[in-house]
Amino acid sequence: MSVRIVVGQGSCGLAAGAADVYAAIEQLLDASTPATLGITGCIGLCYLEPIVDIYDAQGALHRCVRVKPEDAQAIADAVRTQDYSLLGALLIEKEDEAFLTKQTRIALRHCGVIDPESIEDYIAHDGYQALEKVLKTMTPEQVIEEIKISGLAGRGGAGFPTWFKWNAARSSAGEEKYLICNADEGDPGAFMDRAVLESDPHNLIEGMLIAAYAMGAREAVVYVRAEYPLAIVRLSAAIDASRERGYLGDHILGTDFSCSIRIKAGAGAFVCGEETALIESLEGNRGMPRLKPPFPAESGYWQKPSNINNVETFANVSWILLNGGPAFAAMGTENSKGTKVFAVTGKVRRGGLVEIPMGKTLRDVIFDIAGGIRDGREFKAVQLGGPSGGCVPAALLDTVIDYKNLSATGAIMGSGGMVVMDDTTCMVGIAKFFLEFTTKESCGKCVHCRIGTKRLSEILERIVSGNGREGDVELLEELCSSVKDGALCGLGQTAPNPILTTIRYFRNEYDAHIREKKCPAGQCKPLLTYAIDAEKCIGCGACARKCPVGAISGELKKPHTVDAEKCIRCGSCQSACRFGAVRVD
Amino acid sequence: MSEIKLSINGLSCVGSTGETILQIAERYGIHIPTLCHKEEVRHYGACGLCVVEAEGSAKLLRACSTLATDGMAIQTEGARAVQARKIALELLMSDHDGDCVGPCRLACPAETDCQSYVKQVALGNTHEAVRIVKDKLPLPASIGHICPHPCEKECRRNLVDEPVSIALIKRFMSMAELKNADRWQPERSAPTGKRVGVIGGGPAGLTAAYYLSLKGHDVTLTEQMPQMGGMLRYGIPQYRLPKDVVDAEIADIAAAGVRMENGVKIGRDIAFADYRAQFDAVVLAIGAWKSSPLGCPGETLERVYGGIDFLRSVALHDPLPIGKNVAIVGGGNTAMDACRTAVRLGAENVYVIYRRTRAEMPAAADEIEEAVEEGVNFKFLTNPAELLGEDGKVKQVKLQVMELGEPDASGRRSPVPVEGKFEYLDVDCVIAAIGQKTDSTGFDAELNRRGNIVADEGSFLTSLEGVFAVGDATNNGADIAIAAIGEANRAADVVDSYLHGALVPCKKPFVSQRYVTAADYVDRERKPRVQIKNRDAQARRCDFEPVNTGFTAEEAMREASRCLECGCHDYEKCTLIRHANRYEIHPERFEGEKRRHDSEKRLVVIERDQGKCILCGLCVRVCDEVAGKGLLGLIGRGFGTVVKPEFRESAAIAGCADCRKCAEACPTGAMKLL
Repeated sequence: MSVRIVVGQGSCGLAAGAADVYAAIEQLLDASTPATLGITGCIGLCYLEPIVDIYDAQGALHRCVRVKPEDAQAIADAVRTQDYSLLGALLIEKEDEAFLTKQTRIALRHCGVIDPESIEDYIAHDGYQALEKVLKTMTPEQVIEEIKISGLAGRGGAGFPTWFKWNAARSSAGEEKYLICNADEGDPGAFMDRAVLESDPHNLIEGMLIAAYAMGAREAVVYVRAEYPLAIVRLSAAIDASRERGYLGDHILGTDFSCSIRIKAGAGAFVCGEETALIESLEGNRGMPRLKPPFPAESGYWQKPSNINNVETFANVSWILLNGGPAFAAMGTENSKGTKVFAVTGKVRRGGLVEIPMGKTLRDVIFDIAGGIRDGREFKAVQLGGPSGGCVPAALLDTVIDYKNLSATGAIMGSGGMVVMDDTTCMVGIAKFFLEFTTKESCGKCVHCRIGTKRLSEILERIVSGNGREGDVELLEELCSSVKDGALCGLGQTAPNPILTTIRYFRNEYDAHIREKKCPAGQCKPLLTYAIDAEKCIGCGACARKCPVGAISGELKKPHTVDAEKCIRCGSCQSACRFGAVRVD
Repeated sequence: MSEIKLSINGLSCVGSTGETILQIAERYGIHIPTLCHKEEVRHYGACGLCVVEAEGSAKLLRACSTLATDGMAIQTEGARAVQARKIALELLMSDHDGDCVGPCRLACPAETDCQSYVKQVALGNTHEAVRIVKDKLPLPASIGHICPHPCEKECRRNLVDEPVSIALIKRFMSMAELKNADRWQPERSAPTGKRVGVIGGGPAGLTAAYYLSLKGHDVTLTEQMPQMGGMLRYGIPQYRLPKDVVDAEIADIAAAGVRMENGVKIGRDIAFADYRAQFDAVVLAIGAWKSSPLGCPGETLERVYGGIDFLRSVALHDPLPIGKNVAIVGGGNTAMDACRTAVRLGAENVYVIYRRTRAEMPAAADEIEEAVEEGVNFKFLTNPAELLGEDGKVKQVKLQVMELGEPDASGRRSPVPVEGKFEYLDVDCVIAAIGQKTDSTGFDAELNRRGNIVADEGSFLTSLEGVFAVGDATNNGADIAIAAIGEANRAADVVDSYLHGALVPCKKPFVSQRYVTAADYVDRERKPRVQIKNRDAQARRCDFEPVNTGFTAEEAMREASRCLECGCHDYEKCTLIRHANRYEIHPERFEGEKRRHDSEKRLVVIERDQGKCILCGLCVRVCDEVAGKGLLGLIGRGFGTVVKPEFRESAAIAGCADCRKCAEACPTGAMKLL
């Protein structure tokens, strides 16, 4: 067995410099270093990229992390000498390994394992076996039944039972039906689907083909956001490769089932992740949601019965068909089956993709897997479900992850974004951040969303800038409840969630901003006052020299003072002071 | 299609499958508000007004698109749906940058539609102009002569050059119409059989009587003086308002069916209780006919008069003796009327004693100017400290010299006595024109601390069942005539509703307003107002003829064409504002950034006003689905979305078939046919 060197080349790896690492290693490989060099997708340990995996002659894995091009020599030496201790500090630490070993990977099972650009590699990992089994041994009804048994629910956010949607589309009248994959992953901080697209595109194709067979579609479209260029390249290549192999096109695997898949690149509107807006966009119209009913299962793409699932949902399908619905249903809780992928970001020590069975707690993910809070700070809250979700506070860390429990907190499972915040995060500021996002991404169609989110943002803005008024919290709550009630689509209906949950759990922070004109987290600049502690100040003048507006004065060797009128609260003085004399209130 | 049964607001309704909730409700006369829906185009669901509640549904349903199903139980006015609509309307109005009506109309206490009648004058159509003004004001010629015109103060033309001369235009058109043999007279509704007694034949009483009569009620107007007209006849001098103008307008009011009785004083000639018993409703419009006393020693001396008492004596052709040296105390319009009348009666030295300066005088600026021209001496910063007499007659006024101190509650600097500093003025008579009071003797209605009749602001009801009160006699006391007229007109609606069995108080309609500055008008052509010449002051001093003859027809048209037409051309048929007034809304809660209000004229025959656009998408969809052209599109996203010709290309605009369906579909005034 020859040595294999695999460089992680998901977007995360490439952004960290994996292409340069790959080139550096490639240069050093010659006859004296008997190894093949390849790539893989996202390994999941995004915070350790670039990652280079070395499978030695015995098949054992030596994982090098945070590799720089200049480390190529060490890698080449280790491979040549087969002395992997030469890798030294490049090797992954034990506790970082736990990040992966504590996960249960189904949707991501090939990610970081196989070469996403090689159909052979996919086939070698049981690829397309589920498709063959389905086409040759199962009726569409049996497939739907299997999915029903598995308990798979939509992983895009709403958590609607997948079998039901497939069945509804199958039962709708008409010959012409469409299958659509929603790969318009737009939540800030979410990258689960990107990982699948870039790292395991054939798994998506296989899942979609099974779904198309089950619902009776002969044509499928993947709507990928244009901000995922690498995903589009790899998926296109995978579609071509599977067509050449007879997995796609007419009479797939010699059966009567024919299906094509094409890619449609989205143009950057968040709302196109909403299924009816996505359909409008696919049809060449402005991306604005349609009224439901009728639901897409009755009248969707070109007014034909259509089924839309997101990438992660499809990524589970082939596993379920190979391993059986009961195996999937064996994982999870009463109301939520299987696993869920989370993109853990923010103030955690280890950020990346985490796939766990439903039923684990938030604490398991944030502390056990992601290693807790960075820099020894306190955990404050976690934003679940992106701009549509909500902030869950520390007191609820032991919440069991399933659809029902997360909804009860006021947040949602959503597509799996998990932004972890520490005690330096202002919760009003967070609400404002998400509201500004939804305000910007509102399509402008319905009144409640177009103007409602704008007004919510404006009220939050005045609160964080120190102009909040008594009654603003109640006004926010009233407007939030109306926007939830009146908005046309999910974007608007869920946009108030970040405000409502931060008010629910951090009302005191709102009150502090409004009544005392203080930001407890010390983040809202207009509410900060900088002062110099006369006890600690030695009068060195370092702060005064750094101050860009000349707000600090004082005689040399005597305590200095800050002119609050002039101060622009940039914090330069605080970082300039070596004696901790600059205080922020 | 099969039949389905459902209930809407408890009413059993029958529909067929495929019908929406909205369609069925409409058929049963249940009105569900919508802004973005039209049957000709596909449903859209943007406005969120048509939401209704359905039993068993966790979500609000959009009636425009939700298909009715058998057994549905719909509530169209449930608290949750109403709240969603209110918020939608508040949000829409918080972003709606337009004037429903011009600032002139908003400033007019009687809400006269200045912009519309000015427009008709500009078009040379005085008959139509009078028809419009008489919708709110039955005495336009009289008011055109005397109104201090708060409308002109708010006129946006102030931001360009000078305000439009609205009062003079009104005077011109009404006088022109009075000369018209076939002048406009409204239709009277069928008799209701209800009897209304109106007490007081001044502007308020005449107005209330006129509109109540037009509504079909049997109205009797009773006046204590020998003739109708109230202060118009007995308080305003002839040189400002010729009596024949008042006579002509009163004749028109009588022609509208009002029975008039002069010389009858309720409480003297007939007990109020007996009077009340004759009517289904009574309106008190008794005015404020008592002069306020000076409140200084000597005020009971002979030849010390109240301003309105003096003016009334002149109107009754029996002027009180004033002598050669006359001092008038006060700075309001009555003081001006009194001093200028004294001049005309031949007084040699006429003084106006006013405790502040000219800048603080409440009288109209042109009245002051004309008084100065006519030789009136102003004693500013003085106040009578004492009236000194000889043989029981006033001989001298001791004046306390004043200076201006800190601003008071009204924002004007308050006069403060300069200690020990006095002046003396020799006089033959003193006329105190410092205010008026109500004499409510004989009426049992509750009075406030100021001695005025307490009338509810919305219903005009007094403490007595079926007795309403308006005008100078009520609440805050005397005000300008047009204010009394406005109250009387609104009260007529309230009394009408009362007579029909359900009193509906009047409510100030919610209107959208645009806040502008001079910068918004930099592109306007400067056109100073048309000036008219007053008669020479020396000639004016000697008679009671009008100071000027007003506009000629040409001048009136020229002046009227200066109007900027701020008010929306679509106000009367605007669905948005109709819905906004159906619910109690407070858009100021959500005050924030507004959309740009630039206008877009590239559709050749249609001007689009982005500020008023509510993005209902009807124009876009009608152009596409009904006209089959698809020239309009939505550009941009979110709050910044605007409707523009697709691709902003002039080639697209060239395809416009001029069908104007887009403008017709617009539920508000964002599209104007040019």
